[in-house]
This record gives sequence, structure tokens and C-alpha cells, in this order.
Amino acid sequence: MEQLIEQLKTQIIEALNFEDMTPADIDTDAPLFGEGLGLDSIDALELIMLMDREYGIKLADPKAGKAIFQSVRTMAEYIQANRTK
Amino acid sequence: MRVSHEIEITPAAVVLNGQPIATNEQGEKMLVELYRRYVKDYPKFFKMDTLSRLGFIAAELLLQDQPVAAVILANRSASIKNDTDYLATITGENYYPSPALFVYTLPNIVTGEIAIRHHIQGETSCYILEKPEQLEPIILSQINRQSPILAGWCECSGPNTFNAKLQIIWNN
Repeated sequence: MEQLIEQLKTQIIEALNFEDMTPADIDTDAPLFGEGLGLDSIDALELIMLMDREYGIKLADPKAGKAIFQSVRTMAEYIQANRTK
Repeated sequence: MRVSHEIEITPAAVVLNGQPIATNEQGEKMLVELYRRYVKDYPKFFKMDTLSRLGFIAAELLLQDQPVAAVILANRSASIKNDTDYLATITGENYYPSPALFVYTLPNIVTGEIAIRHHIQGETSCYILEKPEQLEPIILSQINRQSPILAGWCECSGPNTFNAKLQIIWNN
């Protein structure tokens, strides 16, 4: 799980163009939206594309996104349970 | 019509009010260098396409604390550089359209980015023209105000093929 979390942080930094940030700067349990990383709605769409592209996960239920994208840890847990690649 | 301040940016040079600004990098990297040196506190810069980065940096260096009533820009290539980048995400077997690129597939987004940063609540327009000279009558029609406007050419057709010439223009 820890390896997946580190990989996911790197992918988030690249996908969202956080050019001044390293994986160590991202708190695994901090909120992704609002406080914490402060992502916006376009970033949310990029994360959905990232999960599809990198892990073969298509989010069929938009309501589930709120729980999945709570933090890097919740994303990683969802990926580990649902990945197809 | 009076021009009080002017900036020109090409992939290899930046000239502010007639004075060159030394840079170490060129092209897209130069825009990032200018951001890191003169702006620093606006991370949304890194999400922008090259056209928006160009207009944003030019406005940032030019305006500083000078309020303007409107921002009127023009270029020849619209948002072709970002359009091409976006097209690459929807071409071929790897069909993963990028939302972050999609939102910059309009040239007038650059005027919006500048307006947000500098709290410009008047007109924001981006015209697609063949030559910069064609912008002048448009500016003349817009400059019946007390406050100056930000106007000029902001063209980007590739990561290392761009040029901007922005001015602060007054009615008197």
C-alpha cells in the first residue's frame, strides 16, 4: 500500500502540474479538495482520467467520488481494491 | 490615445519599457523563469497553457499596481498550440481527453486569466486578426474611459514560437 501511495502522489503531481511539489509535500491523509491540496473541479476530472488511464478504473457512480477522493489514502485504497491493470 | 507602458516578449528576449530584462532560459522555460523570479505566489500559473502563461507574465510585469478598466488582446493563431496538445490526448488508441487542456482550447481564456489576477471587471476580449495593426481601430473604439486599458498582441503557435506586445493605453 505504501508503494502505491508514493506512486499515486507522483502521478498526481504530474497530472495536475504541481511543478514545485514533491511526493513528500503531500500529506497522505489531508483533504484533496478545499483545504489541504486545494484542488478544483477540473482537477477532479483529471484524477478521474488518471484512475482510468493508469489503473483501468472507470467511475460509474459520480456520487462515489466524494468518498474516493477524500485523500490520497482513500484513493489508493479504492485503486487497490478495484484496479484492472 | 497615449501609451504609457509597454512590454515585448519573444522566446529569446523580454523588453519592459525599452529596458531589456536578462533571462537565462528561452521559450517556454523562460516564461517559467520569469514567473519564479517576479511572481512566485500564483501556482495556478502552472496549470495554464503557453498562451495564457505568455499573456499572464506580460501583464504581470507590465501592470504591477496599475489598475486598468479592460483587457483587449489579439493574435493570429488563436489557441492552436494548446488545441494541438489536447488533440494528442484524444487521438489513437490512448483516448484519455485531458480536462485541464480542454479548458484552454479557446484563445480568450488568456484575457480571463489576466482579468482574474488583476481584478479587471470591464471588457475582456481576444480577437483573431491577421496583423497586429488591425487591433488599433478596435482599441480606439474601446478607449472612451477615464481609466487606461491593457491591450496588445499575444500570439503563440508553439512552445518556442510566441510573441507578445502589450501596452497600457490611455485616452489622453
